[in-house]
Amino acid sequence: MQSLFDRAFVEPFHRLAEQLGRVAPAVVTVLVILLVGVVVAWVVRRIAYWLLVAVHFDRMVAQTGLAGTLERTRIFRSPADFGARVVVSILWLLIVLFALSAANTRLTQEMVAQFVAYVPSLVTAVLVLLLGVVVSKFLARSTLLAAVNAQWAGARLLAGGVRVLVMSLAVVVALEQLRIGRTALLVTFAIFFAGIVMAGAIAFGLGARDLAREWLRDKVKPRTPEEEEAFRHL
Amino acid sequence: MDNFLPSELLARLGEIGEADIVVGIPSYNNAPTIGHVVRAVSAGLEKYFPDRKAIVVNSDGGSKDGTSEAALGVELDTDSLLLVSHPVHPVQRISTPYHGVPGKGSAFRTIFALARQCKAKACVVVDADLRSITPQWIELLAGPILEREFDFIAPYYLRHKYDGTITNSIIYPMTRALFGKRVRQPIGGDFGLSGRLAARYLEKEVWETDVARFGVDIWMTVTAIAEGFRVGQSYLGAKLHNAKDPGADLSTMFRQVVGSVFVLMETYKTVWQGVQASEPVPMFGFPFEVGVEPISINLERMIKAYGQGVSDLREIYESILTPETLVGLGDCARQPHESFHIPDGLWVHVIYEFAAAWEHRALDREHLLQSLVPLYLGRTASFVIEVRESTAAEVEQRIERLCSAFEAEKSYLIERWAAEAGKEKTHAKSV
Repeated sequence: MQSLFDRAFVEPFHRLAEQLGRVAPAVVTVLVILLVGVVVAWVVRRIAYWLLVAVHFDRMVAQTGLAGTLERTRIFRSPADFGARVVVSILWLLIVLFALSAANTRLTQEMVAQFVAYVPSLVTAVLVLLLGVVVSKFLARSTLLAAVNAQWAGARLLAGGVRVLVMSLAVVVALEQLRIGRTALLVTFAIFFAGIVMAGAIAFGLGARDLAREWLRDKVKPRTPEEEEAFRHL
Repeated sequence: MDNFLPSELLARLGEIGEADIVVGIPSYNNAPTIGHVVRAVSAGLEKYFPDRKAIVVNSDGGSKDGTSEAALGVELDTDSLLLVSHPVHPVQRISTPYHGVPGKGSAFRTIFALARQCKAKACVVVDADLRSITPQWIELLAGPILEREFDFIAPYYLRHKYDGTITNSIIYPMTRALFGKRVRQPIGGDFGLSGRLAARYLEKEVWETDVARFGVDIWMTVTAIAEGFRVGQSYLGAKLHNAKDPGADLSTMFRQVVGSVFVLMETYKTVWQGVQASEPVPMFGFPFEVGVEPISINLERMIKAYGQGVSDLREIYESILTPETLVGLGDCARQPHESFHIPDGLWVHVIYEFAAAWEHRALDREHLLQSLVPLYLGRTASFVIEVRESTAAEVEQRIERLCSAFEAEKSYLIERWAAEAGKEKTHAKSV
């Protein structure tokens, strides 16, 4: 009876206790890492924010035209706040990877190894997207200003088109880096791009006949000084 | 600074030796008009400064139409000048290509370097496309430098009421409000300056910027005022000339001139922030009435450009202008074209807020300047409508009122100038 009780209850309990005893240090380590991570992340966020404010990060972002976009999200108080959160997010990623590594199981080791191998692609993709946002915004604004100063009726549409085109290109390149649906993406982008070109050609030919005529006339036969405004500005 | 003049030019200057006056004529494809300018300049030198040694230098930007040959080949009929005394030294003529960024500023740089090389006491620069220049211009621009120890003489022209709109709506009121001197044509293009001021200009590291292009005129004027040189102006009558540069569009000219003013505001911020009011500068010459060339305008096009700007560039303006100013501009855009009007107070705030946005880099600076163009066209249209029936004197009074508005609101500029720095501090406190 005693041996049955031991086999049914005591031995499994001992095995469980033994297994828990083997895992416990790792679990405690993970918990400690996460708890320390909370404190470190809080401190780093404040330091990062102050540093970004000190180097006039808000002003730098404002020049790229992204400040308005960040403001419209209503999530971030300022570009410096956004920057500090990005820093903390990266720090949290490192803390979690460190904690998983400290757990020291086969599964977590594999996860960490796979993630580390994926990091260069991920970083490249994020950089490509960030560059895409900055470049598309800048080019769209340049197009808008040039078109408005040339008094083209569809200035905003044209600027929007430039932005969509550049961002689409950035997304395709980023996804390509992440090795997500390469073939399907390329085909989709080719169709999408061809569609935009065709739509643009049709819109220019039909919807903006006057603009097309004016543009072609200027190319073929430049205006005479009399046709130009004689207004003197200096 | 190293001497960047070509060796052939230095050799020629070595033969000529020192000179009292250097008259520089920057040119680019001005063959039809430069002959008249060189003739007027030479006559002016021989008639008014017969005992002074003078050099006329054509600083050319690589003209393809024989400008240099036209400048050197001019014959002067001295009998027709009715000279009281015959010149002691014949006027020397030189034509040299300039180096550096293509533009008027680079041409001036070569002229100033040449003046320094010759130890000239006075240097005069005149445009090569002038049709109204007379020999007396040389006396009026060089005389106060040589006889009265002035350092900088700006031109004072009579112009058509629709001419010089960047000057009238932005450059003159801004220069006057900022630096306290009433130089009526700060970007006139024809100036007299002392040898020491020319040498001072050459010390500056600005020759690769917009100053080397259309910005050079305002840069010269503001530098002279802000650095405490003796400044005056001379009445020259009418200025009749060809278009500034057929290849340059409004946006480019506007960007370079207004951008140069904003750069100068940064350079001399400690100077202008301490200036409280403006004062007239000494005027030379004898003012007289003169006919000016009529100028045609396209009001509809300008008002349409303004309306499109206010509507399409709203997001950009939101990052530059205060909500009150933005509302004011929107209200103006909704007015009927025949009574279209942008009030002085609103215009002053627009310019001051753009200046502050430039300082705080609220936006890419090229974009900032480009976005001001539609508003400038609107303001110009408003001005034209307002002075359509006015005489020249009434127009001058109207410009005077605008200048007073710029001066009265200067504290607003100082406030806006400091505002962004305050905003950053507020963010820091909110964490």
